[in-house]
Amino acid sequence: MQTLMRKTNVVAAVAAFAAAATLGLHAQAGGQQGPPSSAGLIKKGKAPVSNEVLKVKLPKPQEADLPNGLHLMVLEDHKLPRVSFQMMIPGAGGYYDAPSMTGLSNYTAQMMREGTKTRTSQQISQALETMAATLFVTGSIAGPSAGMSGGALSEHFADVFDLGADVLLNPSFPAEEWDRLKTRAKAGLIQQRTQPGFLATEMFSKVIYGDHPASRNSATPASLDAITRDAMVEAHRTRFVPDHAVIAFAGDITLADARKLVEAKLGAWKKSGVAKPSVTNPPAAPAAKVYLVTRPSSVQTNLIVGGQSMTRTDPDYITLTVANRVLGGAMGRLFRHLREEKGYTYGVGSGFSATRHTGSWQASTAVRTDVTDPALTDLLNDIASMRDTPVPADELMDAKRAIVAGFALSLQTPEQVLNYYLDSWTYELPKDYWDTYPANVMAVTAAQAQAAARKYWDPSRLNIVAVGDGSKIKEALAKKGELEVYDADGKPIASTLISSR
Amino acid sequence: MSPSIRRLASAGVVVALGLAAAPLPKIQFTDTKLKNGLRVIISEDHSAPVFTLAVTYNAGSRDERKGRTGFAHLFEHMMFKGSENVGALEHPHLVFAAGGIMDATTNKDRTLYFATLPANQLDLGLFLESDRMRSLEITRANFENQRAAVKEERLLRVDNQPYGRAFEVIEDLAYENFAYEHSVIGSMQDLDAATVDDVASFFKTYYAPNNAVLSIVGDVDTKVALEKVRKYFESIPAQPAPKPVDMTEPAQTEERRTSIDDPLARLPRVDMVYKIPPADAPDQDALQVLATVLASGRSSRFYETIVRQKQLSSGTIAAFPDGAKGPGLFNISGTAAPGKSIADLEAAIDAEIERVKTDPIEDWEMQKARASARSNLVNTMASSLGRAVALGDYAMFENNPNKINTRADAIAKVTAADVQKAAQKYLVKAGRTVVVIVPKATAPSSAPSGVE
Repeated sequence: MQTLMRKTNVVAAVAAFAAAATLGLHAQAGGQQGPPSSAGLIKKGKAPVSNEVLKVKLPKPQEADLPNGLHLMVLEDHKLPRVSFQMMIPGAGGYYDAPSMTGLSNYTAQMMREGTKTRTSQQISQALETMAATLFVTGSIAGPSAGMSGGALSEHFADVFDLGADVLLNPSFPAEEWDRLKTRAKAGLIQQRTQPGFLATEMFSKVIYGDHPASRNSATPASLDAITRDAMVEAHRTRFVPDHAVIAFAGDITLADARKLVEAKLGAWKKSGVAKPSVTNPPAAPAAKVYLVTRPSSVQTNLIVGGQSMTRTDPDYITLTVANRVLGGAMGRLFRHLREEKGYTYGVGSGFSATRHTGSWQASTAVRTDVTDPALTDLLNDIASMRDTPVPADELMDAKRAIVAGFALSLQTPEQVLNYYLDSWTYELPKDYWDTYPANVMAVTAAQAQAAARKYWDPSRLNIVAVGDGSKIKEALAKKGELEVYDADGKPIASTLISSR
Repeated sequence: MSPSIRRLASAGVVVALGLAAAPLPKIQFTDTKLKNGLRVIISEDHSAPVFTLAVTYNAGSRDERKGRTGFAHLFEHMMFKGSENVGALEHPHLVFAAGGIMDATTNKDRTLYFATLPANQLDLGLFLESDRMRSLEITRANFENQRAAVKEERLLRVDNQPYGRAFEVIEDLAYENFAYEHSVIGSMQDLDAATVDDVASFFKTYYAPNNAVLSIVGDVDTKVALEKVRKYFESIPAQPAPKPVDMTEPAQTEERRTSIDDPLARLPRVDMVYKIPPADAPDQDALQVLATVLASGRSSRFYETIVRQKQLSSGTIAAFPDGAKGPGLFNISGTAAPGKSIADLEAAIDAEIERVKTDPIEDWEMQKARASARSNLVNTMASSLGRAVALGDYAMFENNPNKINTRADAIAKVTAADVQKAAQKYLVKAGRTVVVIVPKATAPSSAPSGVE
């Protein structure tokens, strides 16, 4: 709720519910289920619920292919005088960075905003901000794509797009701006290591993906030093090409106007003729172990339990979406059990990613140090019960309805609807994918959900990461499996050392 | 708001280049007071099959008594644990199962509950809110459970975070009146001391219809919605109005300053706050523009001079008026870059503050503030939640829900001279409090390595 929270004064407002939604994916409610999680919810059944799922027809974008290979999408919505655009360029993301230059894509993208042949960094910022416009160039650290996005009130949009085109086509990569950005970036590397959530995710990715590019979470001081201006110029020249890309407009603009704008401003963007780079799957995740990252002075333990998932086009995707919602969505079993019954945590949930290559699934929480052992035990038991027992009919139905009925909310913003179709383009989903999605969700059976739980939440492949005060939680963790111990800078340490801290 | 706002542009994108800023559409709403004092604001918008329902209660941490800090927020958690006709957690369960979203949030001045739902669930939303306003069910077991959850929330957001305690130290030092002196999240000791009886008495005093505003925005028919609101809410009895809290602060006459050690931080940070008037004071518009000039975006003075050129800080330096309904604070916060001194950073911030008081503010900076206010207004219109929250807040605290339509114009009227006057009046050392957060000496080396 950005509108409700202040930038720095994070505790100016405090909320009732941890966003399980911060994990990204699916939030849900559930009925009751055998073993552990029957305490939280009491249904009196007196509230007037409309059992109809509101029929929602997603508007479809208009699409066109341009001569330079760029794919164009437009979702018109004239209710407000504003326009946004989003460009995605597969093949330009950090997935393709050399390991020694991790972050090349990310910083190439950031540097494109730091000056063009005719504009300085400061001029770009000033021009954008006097129009209250946004323009972001982003390169994924681990994913295959880079991209550019922006938005403005209609009255300024053409100017903003003109600026965006300049940034895309004519970046000058000024050396002194790279020195400045590098210095800021190195400070960011220090700051992120103070966040227990970052330390947990960093370790989890490393464990789950091994040396695969998906394991990358951030640049390192060494990789920042290895990224030269020449490398960025070359990355920009060879990877930011139109014939791999899509540009999608949403809001107060027509297809004809969008097309004119793109042809006028991006006419000089030449086709590469090179095939879109592929991705490979990571090696299978290793056998389950426990990884402890010690963070002295921690008063909580951050826990992640998880493993690999699937590709976005895997038929299991929708099934796992439903099963995950039952287990770890908002008001799901983990929430009702660990928070509402036990009071171990403020928030707990689960979610998964699935891309062109196999992604990951994870359940995560932060609990006070002295309940690390029982909280982890309960969490693992809740996962086990998804494998061992079919989800009861009413709990399953609630989960499926929540997913399908939630579609209505996405209609408030054209950008959100457009994101569904950007997924369709990225993963080459069937033409009628979103038309049939609700029916496919509703068709998931308890047996299928259980089979997905057994397949993706196989205990021999679920790794555990804990970040916290090692001297207090090491023994509890060692009970859950073979233990490896690291310091907060990611260096392995002999586990005997921490007890003497 | 009219569902079909007229398009601005016509013949092609090139025309848009010279397009003048057209007047923005007004948000239309009705404003009704029920017999029991509940104020109801309804704003129709049929552009998506969705509505938001928000209830703003005039109760926040400022209403807590000594020894019960954190209670207003702890109470907020209890509002999900059941009422006469709704079981524990059944409220969020039903909202999520219907495809909706919901949450609640507490600050110093108010507690806000909201849900966004598909259009066919209006009865559900109204029933759930009215049942808990009428008949909250309070059990010891539920209370103990939520006490534990809130204590975990404090650990998560405050005690386990680098710089987590800074805001508590700042408020404690800057304020003398207990109302704002203590934090919303409260102390562990006070959270432990709270009782079930406190919950019952807080409910009776503050969660009355005459102490709340209900706002509904979205795909509803105003007449039908109002009839339903009457059906669900009008029989809830009014309560004697709570005694207003004395919020006054004695005038501050000299700078207050302290520093704290932080074992979880790795870089030093300086936070400074200046006393400013309440959110409804005329100077707020100028203060908002001042914050934009100093700190909004990369063209801001703090970023351009201190971050980009001098490189004394490696992140953004924030500045904003806090919007408090009583005596407020203008917050500034910056983290030092590795190897740079916090004293140099503070001096550079001070230099920019002095410069804004004396040297001209440029036209483009004023244009930026106007554009930003206009853009914020359009963005608020884009979501039913944003509108419902703003309407409820302006109605509750300024008795002026129409401020949602006039704020951008008010900011557009601010002159550079107004901004300088506000800076000269409020950004003075005698009225400020400074807290420096120092990483404890045991912090690891400043050259981190990744997982190699």
